[in-house]
Amino acid sequence: MPHDLASLWRRLEDIVGNSHMDADPESTSAFAVDGLVPSLTVRPGTQDEVAEVVSACAAEGAALVPWGGGTAMGTGNRPERVDVVVRLDRLDRIVEFDPDNLCVTVEAGMPLARLQELIAEKKVLLPLDPPDGARVTVGGLVAANLSGPRRLQHGTIRDWVLGMRVVLPDGERIRCGGRVIKNVSGYDMNKLFIRSFGTLGIVTEVTVKLLPMPAAQASVMGLFPDLSGAAAVVEKVLASFLLPEALDLLDPGALDLLAPALGHGATGGFALVAGFTGSREVVARQVRDMEVLIAEWGGTTHLFQEADSVRAWAAITDVFRALPEDPLRVLCTMAVPIGRTAGTMASVRVRAAEQGLTATLSAHAGSGILRAAFRPTHGSSGEGAIPGMAAAIEILRGEAAAVGGSLVIQEASPRLKERIDAWGRPGSGFATMRRIKVEFDPQRVCSPGRFLGGI
Amino acid sequence: MAQSVLVEDLRQVVGEANVLNTPVHLQLYQYDAYLEERRPDVVVFAHSTEEVVGIIKVCNAHGVPFVPRGGGTNLSGGTIPFKGGVVIEMIRMNRLLEVDQRSLRARVQPGMFNLELGNALALLGYQFLPDPASQKAATLGGNVAENSGGPHCFKYGVTTNHVVGLTVVLPDGEIAEFGGMAPDAPGYDLTGVFVGSEGTFGVCTEVVVRIVRMPEGVKTMLAIYDSIERGSETVSAIVAAGMVPATLEMMDQLVIQAVEQSIHCGLPVDCATVLIIEIDGLKDDLEAQSEAIVRLCMEHGAREVRVAKNEGERALLWAGRRGAFGAVARLSPSYLVCDGTVPRTALPTVLKKVAEVGEKYDLKIPNVFHAGDGNLHPLILFDWRNAEQKARVMKAGMEILALCVELGGTISGEHGVGLEKMDSLRLVLSEADIRSQLRVKRAFDPKDLANPGKIFPAPLEVVGAS
Repeated sequence: MPHDLASLWRRLEDIVGNSHMDADPESTSAFAVDGLVPSLTVRPGTQDEVAEVVSACAAEGAALVPWGGGTAMGTGNRPERVDVVVRLDRLDRIVEFDPDNLCVTVEAGMPLARLQELIAEKKVLLPLDPPDGARVTVGGLVAANLSGPRRLQHGTIRDWVLGMRVVLPDGERIRCGGRVIKNVSGYDMNKLFIRSFGTLGIVTEVTVKLLPMPAAQASVMGLFPDLSGAAAVVEKVLASFLLPEALDLLDPGALDLLAPALGHGATGGFALVAGFTGSREVVARQVRDMEVLIAEWGGTTHLFQEADSVRAWAAITDVFRALPEDPLRVLCTMAVPIGRTAGTMASVRVRAAEQGLTATLSAHAGSGILRAAFRPTHGSSGEGAIPGMAAAIEILRGEAAAVGGSLVIQEASPRLKERIDAWGRPGSGFATMRRIKVEFDPQRVCSPGRFLGGI
Repeated sequence: MAQSVLVEDLRQVVGEANVLNTPVHLQLYQYDAYLEERRPDVVVFAHSTEEVVGIIKVCNAHGVPFVPRGGGTNLSGGTIPFKGGVVIEMIRMNRLLEVDQRSLRARVQPGMFNLELGNALALLGYQFLPDPASQKAATLGGNVAENSGGPHCFKYGVTTNHVVGLTVVLPDGEIAEFGGMAPDAPGYDLTGVFVGSEGTFGVCTEVVVRIVRMPEGVKTMLAIYDSIERGSETVSAIVAAGMVPATLEMMDQLVIQAVEQSIHCGLPVDCATVLIIEIDGLKDDLEAQSEAIVRLCMEHGAREVRVAKNEGERALLWAGRRGAFGAVARLSPSYLVCDGTVPRTALPTVLKKVAEVGEKYDLKIPNVFHAGDGNLHPLILFDWRNAEQKARVMKAGMEILALCVELGGTISGEHGVGLEKMDSLRLVLSEADIRSQLRVKRAFDPKDLANPGKIFPAPLEVVGAS
């Protein structure tokens, strides 16, 4: 709790006006972080107001959590405190759109989907496709380093950010980077704030590179009776000249969830979906080569052209939204060396079954990312199942660690989070990370306790 | 005699043969490709991460600073031991440790030359995309320290986009692993923070890089113009047409003339500029793309467009650009390489203004520029023996950087701040920006032992007082 809630309210009211504040538990409960309901929410309307809000929180000893679209709020450990949620939805303007130089500067609360719509008229795009694309904001994309299938060809937001403006935990405003592609004028501060989960301040403005829109797109899905055929095709594609934009592997559970969207029957098998964009010639050639490869390895092919391809990828990206609600469900991301992706998918399926869990798995097979949903197989949905779940997740984390990777919990009940660390054990770089946190936020104003090792 | 104890302690770590401290040896390590010189107290050759740990622990025990050094090609004084101390020569840690083709990663020691890595990967059909012009002599460790660019940045990004893991010996002698073979390691992105830190966060002893397949096809073109503006307009037209070439390089008349004198690659010495365009990818549409580009060049007033028909012709089109810096060295005893960056569309404006700066200070300024990413390298010619002229050169250089900033750009695209640009850093960073960067420096190096005296100008109060 802040030292004096009434005093904090007055200070914030002076900054944003009371119509942009809320302390009614009815509404603040919608902004709970892992069950912690904030004392109040505040909606600054400008970047300067964000700075003033942060200063006020620091002065009053209040802990704050920035909130964009809220899509990544389940990620991380339960914070030590959440006094104020700083909503960024009013910071949703384009600051400067420069299509000739392929870049755009936006405020952090701009929803990604709306940005894409606004810049599409100039035939450019930001080629990133995180889950919940309709809700996710540019600031959230940055703070949580969210990514989707297209990271295979386009990397993650760290490869697209040219510059940003940040409000530090003491309320000071800084600029990182700029608006040019090459920039080594001082340290690369953008990287510090990307994937910092609101623990080093609030990102208020972002400048990103853009890409010309491709002329054509299509996707090929191969359905395989078992994982080995699909995995073999992944390896062949990665070793070939082909340049798929995305290459996702779906296990039978994920494939079932997608049956209505992708229009195939239940198969009980695995699928590999490859997305291609570019000129008509290169898309057509890659579709052809892909179909041949799939057939060679015993798969059957389905082709999605243009708008159908877009719809197919939207469904795959948000596959876990089709899962039935279950309070014991845990969503995780496992990151492993690219060449280990399919192998890890196989071993996780075995381990999960041994632990009495049902796994639903979807992997960016050319990027080393496995997304997983776990739930108890036999309806033991009570609280009693939680210790077992926690132990099982640690065992699965061991599968990733065995190949030098990690398992991060994206979403789990607060009760489960009490028993298992969302990030896993910190490595040898942690001492430096902790010193960075202390340098930037000695008072622990910003999202305290949420990140790795209690940062 | 503290000096001799330091030397003795270092000998204990790496053996007598790997410690140099005679005046002649030290003189060899007092400069890089920038214009200043400072002599180290001792030079040590490291052969392993453990040796680097030992060296840095000795530095800590003696409170002596250290500077890691690779090929010494730095253009901003990054490898000059400004406050003396120990130069850690990394050049012997030059092995390619692992190539994991299935995971598209390679693990490399930092003393390996960029080109050597390129050659080793090429045998397997792969490439490491950052390829700075100095790649023959620049090491991977140097690329990491400076976040090097090269002619392929417009499509493929810079070093930071291709480095995914680092083993680092921190300034207190502890070993830390940032990132690695697997992506998205939890925690802050210290790999990304370390890349471009100019040796001020410690010494990297292993680098994990992204490798990619060689493209199926490459097509190289060279367009010749009677006006720089028309060349720049073509670049914008190509991008506006939705194409993303791997390379868009330009050089101006003075450079072309120098290149022709030295390597005779058949460029017309009376033209205003040449534009080198390279596209790569699947071969299916390269022909169509190249035809479209040639058409755009001609529409924008190109006098002639040459399209390489084979590898030999491609090498010839590139020869001029690759040899540009060397050739310019024939024009005068010394030159200062500027490294400003502007949004691409501001290139014609900035070039015109650079010419004005040349006139104002009575200096010749040939230009080489990465037109796709707006990175320009005006080369200010002078004679280092002429102190008055050198002073004019420094002023002209500052003015050019200020121009870049005014047009929305920055003071360094790929050469770093080092010693050279400390005084111009305030053109782009506020006091708050500088303070925040110094916080990161303190987190890595609270005792200020790693390459001290670089990047950040003295605090304003001190400047005012002096």
